[in-house]
Amino acid sequence: MKKIQGKYKVVELVRVNDIYYRLVLDAPALAKAVKPGQFVHIRVSDHFEPLFRRPFSVYRALAGKVEIFFEPVGKGSKMLASCKKGDVLDVLGPLGKPFASPSRSVKQIVFVGGGIGVAPFMIFSDTLLKHKAEKVLLYGGRSKAHTFSLAEFKKNGVKTFISTDDGAVGVKGRVSELFSKIDLAPTTFIYACGPKPMMAAVAAFACDKGLSGEASMEEVMACGLGACLGCSIPTTKGYRTVCHDGPVFDLKELVFA
Amino acid sequence: MNISVKIGQSVFPNPVTVASGTFGHAEEFYGQEEVLKLGALVPKTVTLYPQQGNPPKRICETPAGMINAIGIENPGIDAFIDLKLPKLKATGVPLIISISAHSEDDFAVMIEKLNDAGGLSAIELNLSCPNLQKKVLVAQSAEATSSVVQRAKQVAKYPLIAKLSPNVTDIAAIALAAEEAGADAISMVNTFMAMAIDIKKRRSRIGNFTGGLSGPAIRPIAVRMVCETAAKVKIPVIGMGGITSADDALEFLIAGATMVAVGTYNFVDPRTPLAVLEGIKAYMKANKMTDIRELIGSIQR
Repeated sequence: MKKIQGKYKVVELVRVNDIYYRLVLDAPALAKAVKPGQFVHIRVSDHFEPLFRRPFSVYRALAGKVEIFFEPVGKGSKMLASCKKGDVLDVLGPLGKPFASPSRSVKQIVFVGGGIGVAPFMIFSDTLLKHKAEKVLLYGGRSKAHTFSLAEFKKNGVKTFISTDDGAVGVKGRVSELFSKIDLAPTTFIYACGPKPMMAAVAAFACDKGLSGEASMEEVMACGLGACLGCSIPTTKGYRTVCHDGPVFDLKELVFA
Repeated sequence: MNISVKIGQSVFPNPVTVASGTFGHAEEFYGQEEVLKLGALVPKTVTLYPQQGNPPKRICETPAGMINAIGIENPGIDAFIDLKLPKLKATGVPLIISISAHSEDDFAVMIEKLNDAGGLSAIELNLSCPNLQKKVLVAQSAEATSSVVQRAKQVAKYPLIAKLSPNVTDIAAIALAAEEAGADAISMVNTFMAMAIDIKKRRSRIGNFTGGLSGPAIRPIAVRMVCETAAKVKIPVIGMGGITSADDALEFLIAGATMVAVGTYNFVDPRTPLAVLEGIKAYMKANKMTDIRELIGSIQR
């Protein structure tokens, strides 16, 4: 594989809370190359179960280390959660189209994250430290444990607003309802990542207000390279692969059933 | 060591290729080495007109395999020839272009276009895609297979490979029909019709309802089918079905395949064809073989 396939050592695998795990790979080349919104495609088993690699959004890439967050819900992520420090993982990456860098005329950047969907916004906010726009994170989770890393966002100068399904932290309700908490301007740019209903709500909201933005989508993937065409989703331009044409799409291009 | 093989008059430097639909169009994300060392490149099947493919979900992981119903999403033969083929030709790797059509006329039109485009080593007739809403596939009927191959043979200036479906009672009988009709090789097997159900939603896990099963799960069936077919036809067989390593590929060669194609496993590790090639050479060396023909069909009965 041209530059993008590598074997990297696990330097840390910790359970962050009841829900999430944090995996850190020693991967200098990868850390240097990855851009916000891109993902890594990790082989979690040497055997045929599960057969495919698993895609993970990069959470952070600092000092030669690549970090991901994940919730062990399926076969693949559970296997990854059983990794040990010192294990070596076969990784393809960075893959996919990154978020567009906000232009200087953007005066407000609104990240909308649902649960683990917040992951790419951390690396994004790391790269936006010098951007003068106001940075806001609207962050929704099922429960308190689903809202991690808030302190780190604050450290990056991101204002955070929270919603949870049970109201244990922040506002009780959906993340899209948090838009009412902030003053939006025509120079606002939205970046969204989360479950499909949330993305549909954000896309509808942006369309209604005439705001521009991007969304990072998720789909079951095989190759991660754009070869198998297995992860295609409908867009206004026809079917597009999440792995190669995306995962980042213009909010206006997305089609929700 | 001679590992070159022939289909019709076309020579391939080694017997390792890829199954159509599993290597895209050898795009830039593949390393030079992975592409240039292949015995042949087989890009994703092309149809006469552009096809947008099936609605999601298009794939689903299954035990040691996957079900797919992509629906031959492709830009159509004209765009393929204009946009994809020049880059494929530039690799210098022998090209096998896979085509599928709804009628014999459409097959003939596409073959004429490919004749004019030039620079190919063979044309593969995909007679066995199970995802096009048809009740019977061409490859499920010896008569239909014979008829399509005969018509294609009249027009094609390149060797013709008939890609067969395993969803039949007697695949060797279909292969014989293709051979008699003038096919220069048989390529087998395509995917096995299959289904997986989401029990929470009580819905198929595939947008197209059913799809084709591939991957290591089907390998033993594919090996058996290749073994049966290679014993009956005189033309070369390109064997495929769940190849993940040189050992897997060797099974197909020993069973009688002249070439082997890596399919689903390209999605897991794109370096697989390369590892297969190196492993075949190592095996031949260890067994003091100097020609790949000593290996092909060497199964003891």
